[in-house]
Formats: sequence, C-alpha cells, structure tokens
Amino acid sequence: MTTEAVEPDFDVIVVGAGVAGCVTAYRLAEAGRSVVLIERGEAPGSKNLSGGVLYSRVMEEVFPDFLTQAPVERRITRNYVQFLNGTSSVGIDYQDSRLSDPVNAVTVLRARLDAWLGERCEEAGVFLMPGVRVDEVLTEDGKVVGVRAGDDELRAHVVVAADGVNSFLARAAGLRPQEPTNHLALGVKAVVSLPAATIEERFHCAGDEGVAYAVVGDCTLGIGGGGFLYTNRDSISVGVVLRLDDLVAKGVPSSEVFEHFLTHPFVAPLLAGGEVSEYASHLVAEGGLDMVREITTDGMVVVGDAAGLTLNTGLTVRGMDLATASGIAAATGIEAALAAGDTSKAGLAGYRTALTASFAGQDMQTYAKAPAFLERERMYEQYGSLLADIMYGAFNHDLRPRRHLRDVAKRAFKRSPVRLRDLFSDGLAGVRAL
Amino acid sequence: MKIAVAYKWAPNPQDAAVGADGTVDWGRAKASVSEYDPVAAELGRRLADATGAELVGISVGGPDVASPMARKSALSRGFDRAVVVADPALEGAGPTLTATVLAEVVKHVGDVDLVLTGDSSQDVGAQLVPAILAGALGWPALANVTAISGGAGDLVVERLQDSGSQVLHASGPVVLAAATDAVVPRVPGMKDILAAGKRPVEVLSLADVTPAAPVAATAVVATARPALAARKQHVIDGSDPVAAAAELVAALRADNVL
Amino acid sequence: MSSTYILVAGDARIDALVELAQGTSTTAVVVGTRSVAEAVAASGVDAVTWLGEPGDAPVEAYSSTVATLVAAAQPDVVLASSRPADRVLAGAAAAVLGAPAFTQVSAVTVVADGVELTRSVFGGIAQETDRVSGPAVVVVDGGAVTTGGSAAIAEVTASAIPTLTVTENRPAERAVVDLGRAQRIVSAGRGVKAKDDLGLVESLAAAIGAETACSRPLAEGLGWYTHDRYVGVTGQQVSPELYLAVGISGQLQHTVGARGARTVVAINSDKDAPFFAEADYCVVGDLYQVVPALTAALS
Repeated sequence: MTTEAVEPDFDVIVVGAGVAGCVTAYRLAEAGRSVVLIERGEAPGSKNLSGGVLYSRVMEEVFPDFLTQAPVERRITRNYVQFLNGTSSVGIDYQDSRLSDPVNAVTVLRARLDAWLGERCEEAGVFLMPGVRVDEVLTEDGKVVGVRAGDDELRAHVVVAADGVNSFLARAAGLRPQEPTNHLALGVKAVVSLPAATIEERFHCAGDEGVAYAVVGDCTLGIGGGGFLYTNRDSISVGVVLRLDDLVAKGVPSSEVFEHFLTHPFVAPLLAGGEVSEYASHLVAEGGLDMVREITTDGMVVVGDAAGLTLNTGLTVRGMDLATASGIAAATGIEAALAAGDTSKAGLAGYRTALTASFAGQDMQTYAKAPAFLERERMYEQYGSLLADIMYGAFNHDLRPRRHLRDVAKRAFKRSPVRLRDLFSDGLAGVRAL
Repeated sequence: MKIAVAYKWAPNPQDAAVGADGTVDWGRAKASVSEYDPVAAELGRRLADATGAELVGISVGGPDVASPMARKSALSRGFDRAVVVADPALEGAGPTLTATVLAEVVKHVGDVDLVLTGDSSQDVGAQLVPAILAGALGWPALANVTAISGGAGDLVVERLQDSGSQVLHASGPVVLAAATDAVVPRVPGMKDILAAGKRPVEVLSLADVTPAAPVAATAVVATARPALAARKQHVIDGSDPVAAAAELVAALRADNVL
Repeated sequence: MSSTYILVAGDARIDALVELAQGTSTTAVVVGTRSVAEAVAASGVDAVTWLGEPGDAPVEAYSSTVATLVAAAQPDVVLASSRPADRVLAGAAAAVLGAPAFTQVSAVTVVADGVELTRSVFGGIAQETDRVSGPAVVVVDGGAVTTGGSAAIAEVTASAIPTLTVTENRPAERAVVDLGRAQRIVSAGRGVKAKDDLGLVESLAAAIGAETACSRPLAEGLGWYTHDRYVGVTGQQVSPELYLAVGISGQLQHTVGARGARTVVAINSDKDAPFFAEADYCVVGDLYQVVPALTAALS
C-alpha cells in the first residue's frame, strides 16, 4: 500500500470546545481558515458542571462585546481572603471600585459560557461537531495528520489539543508524560441555588456585583489546598481544591473534606437555605510552569489546561484567562504556519513565541515557584490559628490590662508550633513565589 | 416512496431543576434529539435504503429547532433532508398543537406514504403526538412497532401487544410509533455529522403551516412540587449487617409487607 | 350537565376513567367485541355506543369513526386509557376537537367555558394545574374492570379505515416484565459496582419473590438491564407493596417512579443519600455486606 498525500478535510481540527478550544477555533475561522471543533459532550458545556472566576480583559480582546453579550453572572468587586480555624476566622476584606471599572473579573457558569462560545464559533464559520469522542491521533512519518473517532478519520494540517487537564491527545502525541500527583489537585465543587436578593444581602453586593472568597486553614482538614466560594447571579459556587498527593497520603475521602467545609460554622450561614443543584469533582492542574513543557509538535499544538496552563497563586486560581491567552497565541502561531505552508514543529514555533510574550507566559514565569510554596504544610494548618490568637489577644477584653500588639503576637507565637524562622522562610519564599 | 420521521428537539427532565414552588428550570438542561427518536430514524433509514425511498426529518418547536446544532444532530441520524417549523409560538407546545402543525408539515412535504415517530418525547412523554397526528391526517396509527418491511401501499408492520406480536398489512398511508427497542440506532460518526452539515434544511414559520382548526388555549393556573408521601425515615445502622438485616426483616414483617 | 366521552379500544379495564368522570353525564364509545361493550355497560357509565364486531381490522382502524362521533357530540371532556390502541382513539378525538391532550392527570373539573385539571408534568418532577378554554382530552391509566352499572348499549354502523388489516397474531416470545403490576420490587443503582455483582440483588429478589428493577444508568448507560426494568422519569412508574432500593442515591428523577410504593426501603452507604428522605427504612451501610445478610435472613 502506498501512502498518498490525502487532501485534508479541514485546515485545522480543534479537539475540545472549552474556553481554549473555542478561542483558538474562533480566531482561525475569523482569519478565514476551515475549522472543525470536535466536542465529546452533546453540546459545548454539557460536560462542564462548574463555573469559576474569569479574569475577563483578555476575553474582551477576542470578543469586544464579551461583558454585555456573554452569559456573565456577576462582576467581582470584592475579594475576601479568609483564614479559617475550628472556632475562629480571620479575614482580609479587599474591596476596590477600581476592580469594577474597567471590569477585571467576572463569575461564569461554564455550561452557559461554553454554549455561548460554541455559538460564536458557529457564527464565525467553525463546523461544530458535538457528541464525538476522539479515539486516536493519526500520525504519518511522525507528524500528526488528523484524528480518528470510531470508524471515521478526519485530516487537517494542524490538530489542536484542547481536551483538558487529562489531555489524552497531548499524551498520545508524546507531548506530556503522566503527571506526578503533586502537580494535580482534586477540585470538589457544588453550585448552591439561592435567590439573587439573598445573595446580595449576605455578601453585601448590589446589582451585578459579586464576591470571591479564597479560604485557607481549617476548611481542608489539614490537607494541602484551600476552599473557595463565589457568587453567581442566583447561585453560589463553593468548593475545595485538594492537593492530590496529600489527599492520597492522608487517606481522607474528598467528600468528607468538602462536607466539613460546607458545614463549617463560618461557611454554613452563607449557604443556608440553598439547594445544591450541581455537584462534581474533577482534576485541576496546579503545577505552574513545571507542567508546561512542549506545547508544539509536528502538526499539533496543545492549549489551555491540556498544556498545563493553570496557576494557583494562593489567592487566585486562574485557568480560563490563561486558556484564552493560549488560544489567541495558538491561533497566531497556526495562522502563520498555514500561511507559510509549514506546519511542522518549527513552523508552529510562533505559538510559543506569542504565548511567552503574552501576559499568560509572563505570569507563568512570575509565579513559577508558587506551587512548591503552597506545598508547605504550615500554610494550611498553623498560620490561621496564629493569626486568630493574635486577633483574640487584641480584641478579647478580659478585663486585664491591654498588651501592646507586638507582645500579643509574641505570646501567640510561643504557643504556636510555627517558629519565627519558619515565618521568615515562608515569608521569603512567598515573596519570591508570589 | 417518501418516509417522514417526526422528531423533537427537547431538553431532558433528568437535567432540569425544580424550584420549591414546582417551577421547572430548564436552564442547565441542554436540548437534544429526543431519546427515542433516533430509533424511528434508524427504522426509517433501513426501510428507505431497502426501498430507495426518500427519508425526510420533520420537526416543530421554538427557534432552537433550526439552530445549527439541532440541524446537524438530527440530520446525522440519517435523514436525506429536513423540514422544520421554528417559531416562538411553538416553544413548549403541547401534544395537540405539536401534532396538528406536524400534520401540516406532512402535507407541505407532499406525497408522504409513511410517518414514523419515536415512542415518546423525553420532556412531555405523553405518547400522544403520533395518535393526534394520524387523527389530523385522517390516517390510522399504530404504536409499539418493532419491524416494517415492504413498500408504498404495501407495508408489512409488526407491533408488540400484551399478548405477543401482531402482523398487519397497510395498503395506505399510516403513522407508526416505533417501540423503544425496535432497532439499535447508529451513533453518528464524524462523517455522518459532516455530511449532515451539507444536507438541505427547509425552515418554515408557523404562518406557513397553520392548522385549519385552532387548538384551544391552555393556561397554567398553579405549579407545585410533587407531593411526597409521608415516610417513616427509620434509620437502621448497617455497620453490623446481620443485626441490621434482622431489624429490617422484623420491621417489614410487623408492617405486613413481608 | 357537563358531558364526558370515554373511549374504549377493546379493553374494559376503565374503572379509573369512570371515577374521574364522576358528576358528569358519561357516554362510552366502545370499539371491540360485544362482550367488551357489555363489560363497559356494567362499569357505571350512563350510556354505551358500540361500533359492532371489528372483524380483522385492528381497533385503531376505527379512529376516524370514533372521531366523527365525538365531533358530533362535542363533549366537555374525552377520557381514554393510556394503553396503545386507546391512545390512538384519543388522539383522533383531540385532532377533530382541536382539544389539548393531557396525561398523568389526577383531577378534572368542568368549569365555565372550559376544563380545569391537575396533573404531574415532565415525568413527574412537578405538578401543574391548567385551565383549558374548551374541551380537553385526558389519557390516564385505565385501572381495572368494575361492575354494578347497567347502561343500555346502542349499536351504530361503523366503518373501519379500509387500508389496515391484521394478518397474523403471534404469542409472546420474550416475556416483557410489567413492573407496574409487581407487588415487590428490588431495584439496583450505581452503588452496584460491576455487572457480576447484580447476582447479589437478584438473590435478594428471589428470596422475597420480587421483580428486579434498576435506576437509569444501569439500563441506559451500562445496558445491564432492559428498558422495561428501569424505574424513573422516562422509564416505568411503579406502585408495589415493597420497593427495596439497593445503592440508589435517590435523585428526584428516579424516586418519582417509585412514589406509588407502599413501603420503601433504601440501602446506601451514604447517610445523606437523598433517597433516605423518601424511604420508610433507611439502612446506612455497605450494600455488599447488608444485601447478603438480608438475603440470608429471608431465606
């Protein structure tokens, strides 16, 4: 049998209709390329039960009308960092009208956002193909030439792997080894329905304003990770992100950790009376730059979560903005490769160049050491109670003469297993990493 | 011969959320070709292939029924073309309005010898559309159909009844509702979906196919969550399985259900 | 007085329809043999119109004649059982009257210029009360045969649609389970980890003479059971004396299918399984230990 050059069915095949896949497909279709967008779910978003905080400015580069047209839940104008202990809680409440204008971050529910992105793609001329599970990457002479699903093969000049954190395509093409577990975290999330008025009252936000909580400490039963909580229009997304290696080592069921968080006396009142409408757990990459390795090979690029583009900075978990940025960069690199008629790894190198130059690439560099920093146990157990002891000393009027806050802090330190040199070391590492 | 397959683009109640006051929120339920309709499409495709007939998908509903997703999803089941009525007035239409408009679509397509439907729609699930459609056309209808052979004016139809199966002969047009497991429908492949994107779809509005007789209006007066029977909710600790089993058996005997 | 037409396609099990039509003048239109017409006449209706012996035409071929009779009478409500042939008659009536048609109806009242009815919708996940500005067609489970009445039978000349004839009747090959009439049901859910483990559930069912059933994923995702054994919104609605749910979490979409049960037992390892809110006996434990123990206790 002779191998003939088969005329490709499309210029580009994008696998996975999440944020990264949709942005890549949309950009290339806008540039006049024929693009098929293959999605395993019955419709874009149908496999995605969760939502998240989306740093939206990069999305506006792609869709200038994003904030008015997309199914945005609320604009985040208030960030709340909470150190949670069994019987106490210390919070940093950061509100800033500058976060509101121009809009910095919004909450979205992916079932709605992805459906909207899919529609924009179709309008731009992308051939959306839902309900298809890709089984195999087709290669010829070491170059990716298409995909196979069931009995059917589709060919293209470039295949874009946008198939999420477990990217089977990236692994099949040899772009990623199996991740060590400390690069992965398990996210357990629920969406709790509450009337909009109740949310606005409980979280002190008006109109379409919203709040994002980042929670560390007692929320995870001592397992590396943290909790989050943010407001949608008429629901609250709440969950925990747990370091997979620590979870496995400690042998605690993730559902137990999640339950603990939901019923925590400082969390439960925020959710009281709500109905859990969605519940899901999934893997998130939080390995930072370490996880981003090769993102191009002959005939293929990897974008979004599939490329390991997630950042847990400790205060914010970012993925969708990086996915958007990687989609833009990938489309730029692919368009240049198609124009030059060279879709080899070298021809596609424009993607990495564009990604590195983008804020996403810069931020991945900036936060390169964040994951290792966040692996320090003290972060999850001891700082919260230390802070609470200091605050307790300051606010507890037990009729004894007030001590200077510095003395209060010193006494709290003496009781805490956190040593001063730990604080210094963590502080230094934190400054370096974050 | 010309075969029409009526299908519905509908959300699945499995994915709907029900509010405390019984209002149904379809927000997170994605529409799809209703779950039993692919069985009718497959039955139709096989008969069309055997007889050289044309297979036309027909559907009525809200604007979404004409969306690219809905078109591709439907046509990838094997239709040669589709005719759909996409009209806001048909959003959430009940069985009688749905079926009487479908009857007008059948007349619009013209020279249809056989209309196939699925057993029931995944959202309303009344199993009445094929019956009303046949009534509106003045044709007979049969449900629980498991096999069809022959050609126009000479169809052999097998259907399931409580007592077994029955074979019938149809020498004229007929509406047949496929049994849920009549055939195993194909899972559309990439080539099916690609081909579906290229097949013609005629989109009509309700004004093009208004039934001669109007359907009486229905107004929702009240909604509620389904009433829950009062249950004992007696908790038995299963950590000692033998003791738990003994406790349960004793309780069920005391209640006279064993 | 308001009037109700009850359409009967060869099966006199209509006591639920007669019950629903109480307080109205009721006429039954019967397609089927003379004996069916007589059974219907004894069921408590006020009048019976019989279309004569059907010959080798299926009852569905009389749908046009039935529709013509209904159109001439213009009743306020048309009732029919949800059996397949009865639905065809009801459909023809709805088409000719331009009447909305409803299923899962629990109450019907004729009001000024229309009909008000209460029903469960979308497979039972919610209840709705509707007002129809005109006649309504209502299709519900017909129920059982009842006696005590003695209506006169008026035979009318009827013609079947001539293009449809029965050529052969074959006895059943595979027995289709009628879960709707089962007295005891043991139902398996996702808590059962492998197909081979269904033996546990089946042994328990055998020990108490129950039918086995399942939740949706086992029938439609995994294909471990046929569709006639799946209980839920888009499956079977059951009303046994005992419904024993093994490893079913109890989503609304499943439990609506079992609400008619007299006694509900749920076995689940998750103490917060939603099914426990709808169960009489909530066994919190590992089904792989509890079910064999239960089977042993019953054998």
